[in-house]
Amino acid sequence: MAKVLFEWDYSSYPGAKAYPNLFKPIQMGNLMVPNRIKYAATEDNLNDHNGFITDADVAYMRSRAEGVVGGLCFMQGVYMDEAGKGQGYVGQAACWDDKYVEGLKRIADAIHGEKAIAGFQLMDCGRVGAVEVESGHGPSTVPQRLRIFKPMYEMTNAEVKEMVQQHVDAAKRGVEAGFDVMEISGIVGYLISNFVSSYTNRRTDEYGGDIRGRCQAMVEIIQGVKEVCGPDIPVGIRLCSEELLNDVKGNTPEESMETYKIAEEAGADYISCTLGWQESIFPVISRDIPQGNWLYLAKRAKENVKIPIQMAYRLFTPDKPDKAVADGGLDIWEICRSMIADPLMPKKVLEGREDEIRHCVACNLCLARLFRDAPMTCYINPRCAHEHDENFTPKPAEEEKEIMIVGAGPAGMECAYVAAQRGHEVHVYDKRGEVGGTLLDASRAPYGDEELMTCVNYQKTMCEKAGVQFHFNNEVTDELIADEMPDTVVLATGPVYPVIEDSEDRDDVVNVLDVLSGKAQVGETVVVWGNRKPGIGVALFLAKQGKKVTIVGKEKSAGFDINPSFKWRYMIYLKQNGVMAYNDCDIEELNDGEIIVKTYDGYRFPVKCDTVVVSEREANESLKKIVQAEGIELFVIGDALVPRNLSSAVHDGYRIGLRI
Amino acid sequence: MPVNAEKEITKLWRNLHNAQSEICKTFYRWREVAIEVAGPDVKPLDIALKAAEMMGKDMGKNFLPRLNWLKGEETFMMNLGRALAGIWVTEGGTAMAEKGENPGEIFIRCTRCPWPTAAKEFGVPMEEVALTRERLFQTILEDVNVFFNINLKIEMLKAIPRGEGEYLLKLYKEE
Ligand SMILES: Cc1cc2nc3c(=O)[nH]c(=O)nc-3n(C[C@H](O)[C@H](O)[C@H](O)COP(=O)(O)O)c2cc1C
Ligand code: SF4
Repeated sequence: MAKVLFEWDYSSYPGAKAYPNLFKPIQMGNLMVPNRIKYAATEDNLNDHNGFITDADVAYMRSRAEGVVGGLCFMQGVYMDEAGKGQGYVGQAACWDDKYVEGLKRIADAIHGEKAIAGFQLMDCGRVGAVEVESGHGPSTVPQRLRIFKPMYEMTNAEVKEMVQQHVDAAKRGVEAGFDVMEISGIVGYLISNFVSSYTNRRTDEYGGDIRGRCQAMVEIIQGVKEVCGPDIPVGIRLCSEELLNDVKGNTPEESMETYKIAEEAGADYISCTLGWQESIFPVISRDIPQGNWLYLAKRAKENVKIPIQMAYRLFTPDKPDKAVADGGLDIWEICRSMIADPLMPKKVLEGREDEIRHCVACNLCLARLFRDAPMTCYINPRCAHEHDENFTPKPAEEEKEIMIVGAGPAGMECAYVAAQRGHEVHVYDKRGEVGGTLLDASRAPYGDEELMTCVNYQKTMCEKAGVQFHFNNEVTDELIADEMPDTVVLATGPVYPVIEDSEDRDDVVNVLDVLSGKAQVGETVVVWGNRKPGIGVALFLAKQGKKVTIVGKEKSAGFDINPSFKWRYMIYLKQNGVMAYNDCDIEELNDGEIIVKTYDGYRFPVKCDTVVVSEREANESLKKIVQAEGIELFVIGDALVPRNLSSAVHDGYRIGLRI
Repeated sequence: MPVNAEKEITKLWRNLHNAQSEICKTFYRWREVAIEVAGPDVKPLDIALKAAEMMGKDMGKNFLPRLNWLKGEETFMMNLGRALAGIWVTEGGTAMAEKGENPGEIFIRCTRCPWPTAAKEFGVPMEEVALTRERLFQTILEDVNVFFNINLKIEMLKAIPRGEGEYLLKLYKEE
C-alpha cells in the first residue's frame, strides 16, 4: 500500500469540479500524492552567504506550502561541496555538512505544517556555479559563452566520484531533516546536464563518450541517492527534454529522450521535464512565448517512459494542465513563477477564487535578480520575499480615513484595495470610464503585453471585494478636492507627455497612447521619441503594421528599463522588425517630413518621417498645489511621481496602501 | 538650422580616425611601460607576444556568443573569418574574408593596416608587428576551438610589415 502523509478531501471544492484531473491522487514510487500540483524548486537568494536557512526563506516556503493544498512543495536546490564550486547563487542553501540539517528541518516542518509534501532538491550548479569562488567544475574545460559565469575546469575521475558521493551524503541529510521526496536537478546548464550534454562533456573516461557514458554520473547519483532514501521516499530527476543547444552541438532531442530512459532504468521514480539552458539562444519562458507552448514535450516524454512526468514552463492557468492530465500527456503540473507572483495560486483555483489570482507576467525579473546577487523580488507581487516582514503585512489602520485616489491605473488600484482592506473608506476617481489607466493602451503592444492586464483585473476584483468606491468619467479638479476635503489624497494620475517645441498645433505629432488605442493617425514613416519600454512597445506595434520606424531616445541603450533577462528578446524583435534605434540622442528640430536628431556629443543628422510619436514621459505635477494648500495629507505614486514601469507602480501603490 | 551633411560627416570621420590611431598608439605606449617594468632580461618581442595572447584570449570570449553552428560549417568559418577581418576594420584597416581555394579554408586579406605606421613612430621592429598579429589571431581561435569542439588553425602567408604589400592569412580546418 502506498504511503499517505496527509489526508485531503477535495470533493466539496468548486476547483475540484472545474479541474477534476488536477485534484485527483497519483502514486509516485511508494508515496501517494493527493493532487497533481507541485511548487517547483525555486532559488530565492534569501539564505545567508554561508548557506544557512533564514527566517525569510522559511516564511517564503511556508506560504508556498499553503498554496499547493496538500501537493508537492519543493525547496530550492542545495549545493553540496564545501569548496563552493557548485554554488550558483550567493543566498543558496548549502548541505555539505551535518550543521545544515537543523535549518533544513525548519523548512520541512514549515511545509508539513501546511499538510503538504516536502521536497528536497540536490543542485550542483556546474557551469552556472562558483558564484563566490574563482572557477567552477564540470566534465570538461569548455569556455563559458556568457561572461557573467566563471571559467570551468575539468574534474578528475576521482573528483567525479567525490561529487557523486556528495549527492548521496546531502540526500542523507535531507532525509534526516524530514523531507519526503528527493529530487536531483539536472536542468538549464547545471552540473548533471553538463555531464549529459555532448556540448560540455568531452571526457574519455567512463563518465564521457556516448550518451550512456555521459549519463554514467547521473546513474550513479540516482542509484546512490535511492539507496539512502529507501523504499518510501521517491527519488526524481529534472532533465532537459530538449537542450536547445544545436548551435553549439548539444544533444539531439532523441539523445535527450535516451537520458530519460536511462534515468528510469537507474531507478528514478519520476522525471520533471525541462528544456533549454541558460546559454541557449532560444527563449523558453518569457512573455513572448505563448502559454502551454511546451506541453508537447511532456507528451513526448510520456511516450518514452512509464514513470510520472511533471512539467512547468509557461503553464500559468489550470485549464491547460488539467486537459493535459486528462489526455495522458502530463501527470503533475509544476508551478514556479506563478507561485512567486501569487503563493496561493492553486489554493485559489481549488476554492473557486481564480479572479483573485495575481498572475505572473513572465518578465523574468526574479531570475535577473538572482544572477545579480540580489534577493528574490517579484515585479508584480510586492510581498514576495517579505512574507516574514511585519512591515509588509497589511494591518488594520490606527485611524480610519476617507481617501481620495486620483487615477484607476495599476498604482492607484493597488493602493486602493490595500488601504480599503485596512479599514479606510476609499474612493477612486478616473476620467476614463474603466479601470486600467495607461495600461489599457500600453497592453496593446505586441509580444504578449496583453498579459499585463491580468494585473489590473486582479486589482479590480480585490477593490470590489474590499468595498472601494469608483467614480468613473470624473476628472478631478481643484474644486472637487476643495469640496470633498478628504483626509488623504493619493495622486496616481500617470505621467505627462512633454511637448516638442512648436509642435502644439501639428497633427503629425501624436501621443503614444493615442497610437496604441487607434485614436491617432500615423503615416508610413514614423519616428518614436523615447527609447524606454513604452517607446519600444509602440515602435514594434507600428513596425508590425509594416511601417518604417526609427526610435530616438535619451537613454544610453534602448530598453534600459527592461530587465536583462527579457531585454535581449526585445533587441532581437527590434532587429527582426527593421526598427532602427538612435540612443543617447534627442530630437533637436521638427521640420516638414523630417526631424533633426542631435547626438549627445553634438552631431546632427536628419531622419525622414511622416509622424512623430511621443513616448517620453515626465512626472505629473497637477493637483499637488491644491492638496497642499488645503493641508490634506498627500501621496504621489507611480508614473505621476517618476515615470517608470508597471512594477514600480504596483510596488508604490502597495507601500503607500500600507502606510496611510 | 539645416543640417550641413558634409560638415557633420567630416567632423565624425575626423574623430573616428583620431580614435582609431589612438588604439595603436596606446598599445605601443603600454609596450614601452611593460619593457621598462620587465627590465633588460626580457625580450621586447616576448612581451609583445604575451600581450597578444592575453588580448586574444579576451577577444575570443567576445566571439563566443555570436558564433553559431546551426548554419553549417562553411557559413560558420566565413562568419569567423569576417569577425577576424572586422578587428582590423575597427582599428582603421581595410580587410575582408574570402572563400579559400579548398573547402574548409578561408582567406583573410588586409590591404591597408594602421599598425606598421604607428610602430615606426615608436621604433618597433616590423617583424614584431607581423608576429604579434599572427599570435593575436591564433589565441582568439583557442577558445573558439574548445567551445565548438573543432580544430581550426590560422597561418600568416603574407604581411605588410614584411614588405609583401598586403596581409594574407589562411584560416583552415586541420583534419
Ligand atoms: C527565480 C527562479 C529560481 C529557480 N530556481 C530553481 C532551482 O533552484 N532548481 C530548479 O530545479 N529549478 C529552478 N528554477 C526553474 C523553475 O523551477 C521552473 O522550472 C521554471 O521557472 C519554469 O517554470 P514556470 O514557467 O512555472 O516559471 C527557478 C526558476 C526561477 C524563475
Ligand atoms: S518577477 Fe516577473 S517573472 Fe518573476 S514571478 Fe514575478 S512577474 Fe513572474
